[in-house]
Amino acid sequence: MGFREEVEATPNLQGKWTAGLGALRAQDKARIKPENTSAKHLRGSVDIDSAWQQVEPQANRWDFAVGYKHVNRSDEFVYWVETHTGSDEQIKVMFRKLDWLKNWLKNAGKRLANFDRSFVWVPGGATSFTKGSTQVRSLAEKGLLYSGSTFRIPVTHEISKP
Amino acid sequence: MSILTRSGPPPRPQEIKVENFGPIKHAGIKFGHLTVFVGPQAAGKSVLLQLLKLLSDTSYIKKEFSRAGVDWSGEFASFLDVYFGEGMRSAWSDKTSIEQNGARIDLPGRISEKRPSRRESMFFIPAQRVLALRDGWPSAFNYYDASIPFTLREFSEHLRLLMSDFGSEGTLFPVPRRLKSEFRELLQSHIFPGFRLKIDTQRAQKRLVLTSIEQGGSLPVAVWSAGQREFVPLLLGLYWLMVPAKAPRRAGLEWAVIEELEMGLHPRAISVVMLMVFELMARGYRVCISTHSPQVLDAVWALQRLREHGAGGTDLLRVFDAEPTTAMVKLAENVMKKWVRVYYFDREGGTTRDITNLDPNAEEAGESGWGGLSEFSGRASEAVAKAVANSRQ
Repeated sequence: MGFREEVEATPNLQGKWTAGLGALRAQDKARIKPENTSAKHLRGSVDIDSAWQQVEPQANRWDFAVGYKHVNRSDEFVYWVETHTGSDEQIKVMFRKLDWLKNWLKNAGKRLANFDRSFVWVPGGATSFTKGSTQVRSLAEKGLLYSGSTFRIPVTHEISKP
Repeated sequence: MSILTRSGPPPRPQEIKVENFGPIKHAGIKFGHLTVFVGPQAAGKSVLLQLLKLLSDTSYIKKEFSRAGVDWSGEFASFLDVYFGEGMRSAWSDKTSIEQNGARIDLPGRISEKRPSRRESMFFIPAQRVLALRDGWPSAFNYYDASIPFTLREFSEHLRLLMSDFGSEGTLFPVPRRLKSEFRELLQSHIFPGFRLKIDTQRAQKRLVLTSIEQGGSLPVAVWSAGQREFVPLLLGLYWLMVPAKAPRRAGLEWAVIEELEMGLHPRAISVVMLMVFELMARGYRVCISTHSPQVLDAVWALQRLREHGAGGTDLLRVFDAEPTTAMVKLAENVMKKWVRVYYFDREGGTTRDITNLDPNAEEAGESGWGGLSEFSGRASEAVAKAVANSRQ
């Protein structure tokens, strides 16, 4: 099954799949730039945060998932995107969100855990991190990719399947 | 907010535009109190700095060549070879054009015309500075053959003259009247731990040696660490610029150029050298540096962001792990008012790009990756993040 079908089969996400980047807030859409936005590549998006707000109102929930079909991969790929203030003090918050997401993917969201993925932090506003900073390395150690103000999704996936 | 809006008064405008000279197709540089050039090898950084020296000190350079008996027979192409180094005549073509401060420069005409010699206004510390001490003692201008660039020959000549300030058995480092005591302590700790830099005489030939403070004995240049070999000529160049007198600058000198200041140095030592660059700025020099060190741009980035957010000199010193003594805080606060410019030399396009903002979020990879210096770290983090995210372990 593809990204859309798996979203629809996931608890609390029924009817939440949207075409393109439709699940993202307007200000967040401007920060996510798929190289090719046709439905052949951009397989839709889902707002996890809103869908799970009722279920876990106090949790540090994750924002969005975006499905993408790269030309050099047979399966769809999922970008788990969180748009969040990019500052030192928010790193702990982001780690809590990532822990929530990983736990969710082992349980309610396990159907979506079958896709290869990237966890992406797209900072809102100014950021205090540089590309070579220890903060960005410590995020990478946890599997979190710090994108810079704009996250570009290329048609060709750059990293081979692990 | 622009990083330039909170600065102190801007420097006197100095601008250069170069087209079709060597690897440079189009370069446009506006100089700050500190101007930093980054970019891959052979992208034109050094060529542009040498050209700036030539434009600033044309009559002085011609006089120095004349004194040394260097004769280019009135041929501009030959002059390019003796000034920039052998083979550099090919850098010039019919399409080459140079503008300085808005005025077109007729360089061949300027080289051929007779003008009274003026004082040198730019001191140039070249990337090949280690060659100036290859025999343990700086050689005279004439010692080098005509294939060697002027900037190296002249740098060596200046060091030779500087040596006369220190006597025949003198100590060059540490010296009480040279450099701030804070710099001396940092250099002692990070570059010369347990050593003094001295002049000694071996079989009637003077040479520079490092002597162990505790054990004595003399270590000649050949057994110094690579970093010490690279740093000593830089230190002597800084001595030249930071005269031990009340005057902040050496008479006549306005510009200080340091190519690849990080050469051979550990990051802690690079921090000390950057602080000494700040000292040059505080003394009123216009400083131009080229670098392949992300740490140098980290320092510039921190300087600009700290200023933008109203931080003080103590905060800047913390970046360098330097003690906030009164003198150092005063230095840091002075520097935080200065204007900085950063340019990326793009070898593929032969162009320069102003990346002064050093915005890690810039869409332009040349800026967010700081002219390629942090590209590798960025790619490493990206690859690790993706691998960890997909690890089934």
